[in-house]
Amino acid sequence: MSPSDTALAGRTETLAQERRTEDFKDGLIREIPNLRAFAASLSGSIQLADDLVQDTLLKAWGNSDKFEPGTSLRAWLFTILRNTYYSLYRKRGREVQDSEGTYAERMATHGNQESHLDLADFRKALAKLPEEQREVLIMVGATGLSYEEAAEICGVAIGTIKSRVNRARTKLAELLSIGSVDDLGPSHTNAAAMQRVGPESVGS
Amino acid sequence: MNRLDAAMTEPDDPDEGFDLVMDPKVQESIGRSLKAHYDDIVNAPVPDKFLVLLAQLEATEQRVSGVSRDESQ
Repeated sequence: MSPSDTALAGRTETLAQERRTEDFKDGLIREIPNLRAFAASLSGSIQLADDLVQDTLLKAWGNSDKFEPGTSLRAWLFTILRNTYYSLYRKRGREVQDSEGTYAERMATHGNQESHLDLADFRKALAKLPEEQREVLIMVGATGLSYEEAAEICGVAIGTIKSRVNRARTKLAELLSIGSVDDLGPSHTNAAAMQRVGPESVGS
Repeated sequence: MNRLDAAMTEPDDPDEGFDLVMDPKVQESIGRSLKAHYDDIVNAPVPDKFLVLLAQLEATEQRVSGVSRDESQ
């Protein structure tokens, strides 16, 4: 190989590396909204959520060689975010909630005013769930992750995920007073409120 | 299927039987609220600081790989 061939090979390798970096960065950017939503659900605070997302992005960047292309980037990032939360943020989250109230009361929402109030009620109830139930309910019920992925992220069996989701739903129904079929009738304000939240905010 | 069924019951979960009979309408209602909560944040504008951070990380990496390329020649 002539020196110019070597230089060319080096340049080609560098370009390939830059391309991989670019793809990885684009992947991270696409996942930021989901990371924020998951982080806010975990910590109960949008400010903490953004710190948590920043830490997650830094760690993901530093460990990009450990990500296996072809596997779910979202599941990989959620694992990092969750570990970061439990090792560094959990205590801070409680302190922030104690001093400022939860994001349920403070966060600006992007729906109309009416659904904002209903969403706030739901978030207050969600914040009352035990962490281990709340995180799996969010993963399985809102993020599009499978039970299998949730089980892997949390390091527990699929059966454990299923039973936590069930308990979380039961507890939420209890907190929102929609435990029985009768409670879902049109006269019940909470149930009616929840009906309104759905169609307007989802998929907007 | 069998393996999943076997894994269904958490040993420390006395409520399992009760949980499984939850009314589908209640479950649906909770599901909708859950999505509304989550999507509300997903659809919020992403703060610029995250894009700035990633651009900086990328620039740093390119500078580092540029330096090592120069050194190898």
